[in-house]
Amino acid sequence: MSRKCRGRGMAASWYGIARTATIDRAGAWAELDDGGTAKIVTGVTEIGEGILTVLAQIAAEELGVRPEDVTIGDNDTARSPEAAHAGATRQTYMIGNSVALACRDARVRLDAEIADHWGVDSGSLKAFDGEIWAEETNLKMTMEEAVDICKKRGVVPVGSGSFTAHGTGLDPEDGSGSPWQAYVFGCQVAEVEVDIVTGEVQVLGIWAAHDVGRAINPRGVEGQIEGGVVQGLGQALMEDYKLEDGHTTTHGFAKYILPTSLDVPQINSILIEDPDPLSPLGAKGIGEPALVPTAPAIMNAIYDAIGVRITSLPATPEKILAGLVAKREQEGTRHHAAE
Amino acid sequence: MSSLDMELTVNGRAVKRPAKARMRLLDFLRDELNLTGTKEGCGAGECGTCSVFVDGKLVKSCLMPAAKANGATIETVEGLAKRGGLTYLQQAFHKTGASQCGYCIPGMVMAATGALRENPHAGLDEIKERLGGNICRCTGYSKIFEAVELARDVMNGALPVTALDGPGAGASYIGNNVRRLDAPSKVTGALKYAGDMVMPGMLHMQVLRSPVAHALIKSIDISEAEAMPGVECVITADDVPGEDGFGVFVHDQPIMARGRVRYVGEAIAAVAAVDVETAMAALGKIKVEYENLPAVFDAEAAMASGAPVLHDYAPDNIVKHIPIRKGDVEAGFADAELVVEQSYETQPVEHAYLEPEAGLAYVDHDGVVTVISPSQNITHHRHMLAKIIDRPINKVRFIMSPVGGGFGGKEDMIYQGMLALAAMKSGLPVRLVFTREESIISTAKRHPARITYKMGLKNDGRITAVEFRMISDGGAYGLSTEGVMRKAAILSCGPYDIANVKIDTHGVYTNNTPSGAFRTFGAMQAQFATESHLDICAGKLGLDPFEIRRVNMMRSGASTHTKQKLGSVSLGLALEAAEKASGWESGPSVARGGVRGDLGRAGNREPCTLGARIRTSHDVDTKEDIA
Repeated sequence: MSRKCRGRGMAASWYGIARTATIDRAGAWAELDDGGTAKIVTGVTEIGEGILTVLAQIAAEELGVRPEDVTIGDNDTARSPEAAHAGATRQTYMIGNSVALACRDARVRLDAEIADHWGVDSGSLKAFDGEIWAEETNLKMTMEEAVDICKKRGVVPVGSGSFTAHGTGLDPEDGSGSPWQAYVFGCQVAEVEVDIVTGEVQVLGIWAAHDVGRAINPRGVEGQIEGGVVQGLGQALMEDYKLEDGHTTTHGFAKYILPTSLDVPQINSILIEDPDPLSPLGAKGIGEPALVPTAPAIMNAIYDAIGVRITSLPATPEKILAGLVAKREQEGTRHHAAE
Repeated sequence: MSSLDMELTVNGRAVKRPAKARMRLLDFLRDELNLTGTKEGCGAGECGTCSVFVDGKLVKSCLMPAAKANGATIETVEGLAKRGGLTYLQQAFHKTGASQCGYCIPGMVMAATGALRENPHAGLDEIKERLGGNICRCTGYSKIFEAVELARDVMNGALPVTALDGPGAGASYIGNNVRRLDAPSKVTGALKYAGDMVMPGMLHMQVLRSPVAHALIKSIDISEAEAMPGVECVITADDVPGEDGFGVFVHDQPIMARGRVRYVGEAIAAVAAVDVETAMAALGKIKVEYENLPAVFDAEAAMASGAPVLHDYAPDNIVKHIPIRKGDVEAGFADAELVVEQSYETQPVEHAYLEPEAGLAYVDHDGVVTVISPSQNITHHRHMLAKIIDRPINKVRFIMSPVGGGFGGKEDMIYQGMLALAAMKSGLPVRLVFTREESIISTAKRHPARITYKMGLKNDGRITAVEFRMISDGGAYGLSTEGVMRKAAILSCGPYDIANVKIDTHGVYTNNTPSGAFRTFGAMQAQFATESHLDICAGKLGLDPFEIRRVNMMRSGASTHTKQKLGSVSLGLALEAAEKASGWESGPSVARGGVRGDLGRAGNREPCTLGARIRTSHDVDTKEDIA
């Protein structure tokens, strides 16, 4: 056996979108503002995943403005509608759809005035990237002009949206129920190199295929997959919060080991878009699901490389070496028995 | 307190002012100069969020006494670009999506700036090496590497400056890689997190935490602490006017320990004072008398009869048991041609967001109790705090400050109640910023799990039955344990069509650090077991890992373990995509790494070897051979 052994493993996964086994809801307000800009107000946004930008893209698309013209992000229980929490892979699905609905509502107000102003059917109006026009005509103006006209006619183009996801509770005895209305599925392949002298495992490559329904910002989705994979890698190989009689022995980053730039594999993301039929956007989510298959894919790859099955995370060098010793002993016994 | 008159240059400006003797360079920059782009992540030189240049050298400012910087030239993230502008490197971070929560990013930008200053032609391995002292918990580093390589190429003229531009409108803003709108504020350090915020007259809070795992509190004497000059108030459970209790599902945790402590690190009392040092000194004057109780540190031991009971409402120490039953597992096992049993274990994991918990509370002119914090759930926190402080719900206001990483760990209202109580008691704004150690000992972890798995299969790989049992240590308080057990149970047996399942998940109270919400909410632990188990079974049956999953996978219209009928199921697409992209060579799951032909293809990085990755151009390639 060479010192450095490579192997591959894979794992599949599934996940439910938004809150579990309950009804989920989120609200948002929208206003087409002066200068062809927009204000979006909702109760919860960014925790780093990029939802601010995703919501601005959704608002821009629905309102016909540019993402950079959208002001958003005042998460305040006294000033914004309830949108509940930032978690459960619910932000794009719940808040995204509520923002889309709020924007559509604001557009109904604006479009009614512009259609009347031009003498066309409001159904013929289209807007994108700061302009609004009536299809099959030469009628076109900027959103700045459109908002100005709307307001001069006495109407502020505001809207609101509430989006619901219909999960149901589980039966207390047999657990039956419909916990989510949208599910996502994924699969990751890991390639590892195991040093059988030191027990060290390096993950060299991850191929991560995940259904996200519809990728609003593909680069942002990749960022979520990459972050999830590396958290999964940390759990697979090194992270371990240790306690002795209730006292931790890993109370700082010198003792609690996290993945650094030298630990991460090349991560190859493949985005699958199987649109959600029950929501306006068709998007689902990616925040949590990306992490699920990483650790088992790595454990399966370690087994493929050296024939040692790690069933207790993390797969530290000590466990790898102990596994190799046990395997040699077992093989020795088998060999002996065969003689 | 003694002080030193400092004279130094900061971001090109002459600075002359005193620094307290205890100050680190980090404190001087943040507290004296209000340069809050330099962040504190660990206070121990481990994470790199506080990186600055001192006389051109990259330094972790949490490790440098301010006095040592006297006379030096300091450059912080705020000084890299002209005001309102971005350096090429910052633009590249913006372009590639290299910032997520943004808390590590100023330090990361500094380290990357240093890397390209040291070697404008640095290759990927050298870039990785030079960023090795900076931790990022969100991005997986990949987009950061991409940004540094992009900036390098633009700076060297290998790529035009337009390579840094955004993607344009195209035909739609959906499916468009619009650059993150919040990135400029993150790459320049302009964004204010809760710990960066100040208000006039603001007090500083410090928290007294339990040194014991399980004890009755016989008495707390705060009189001496309260009498100290500079101390505005001391709060304990006695200051809670309403119904004391928080948690995501069960409200079993008091704002501060109420007559009894259940884990090491639990809050006992808190002091609000004119500065952190005074508040800290006052903690030392609080006298607490404990009477130790028998403690339990193992979930299975806590389930045994006669185990110490943590909460009266749960005499069996069970936070939640979720059962799922479908079909007839005994018949399924009888029908099986192979039955495989195996147990699995996962460890508790720390969220390790780079931003430690922090918050600022005040009572406004209308008497509204307002808490600004990186809370992942301001809606629920408002409901709970209104009850706890016995105010109408519209007299409680939660504002979500920028979250420097959450991953579920900031869903718990672990400190916001103390801030509100101190603001109410003192009438002044109060800020609390956790140290890294405080964050680690007192906040939730990913639930550790012990899983026993029994699977029956036919020789063709079809699963006939699964029995799945998971026991999870929920620690001293309920937090999200109920929901985690539920999600773990629902998703446990994976996306496979199995006629007969018997699933039980148990969340258990112990005297360990509480477990709570953490990205995947139990699904990771459960599916780790399932996906490992499937490979073991595939090995015994001589099947390829993809094949055993395809034989069993849910297809559109399938019925889940909870008997929900699914619409479209995309698992087949995901399997096919990963198999194809990785160039997977089909074969049985039997440790065939030594003979498989699909290793080392494009899509892998090079293995790291011992020794420097930083090379000059004339270094010969000494890459170690794979034996």
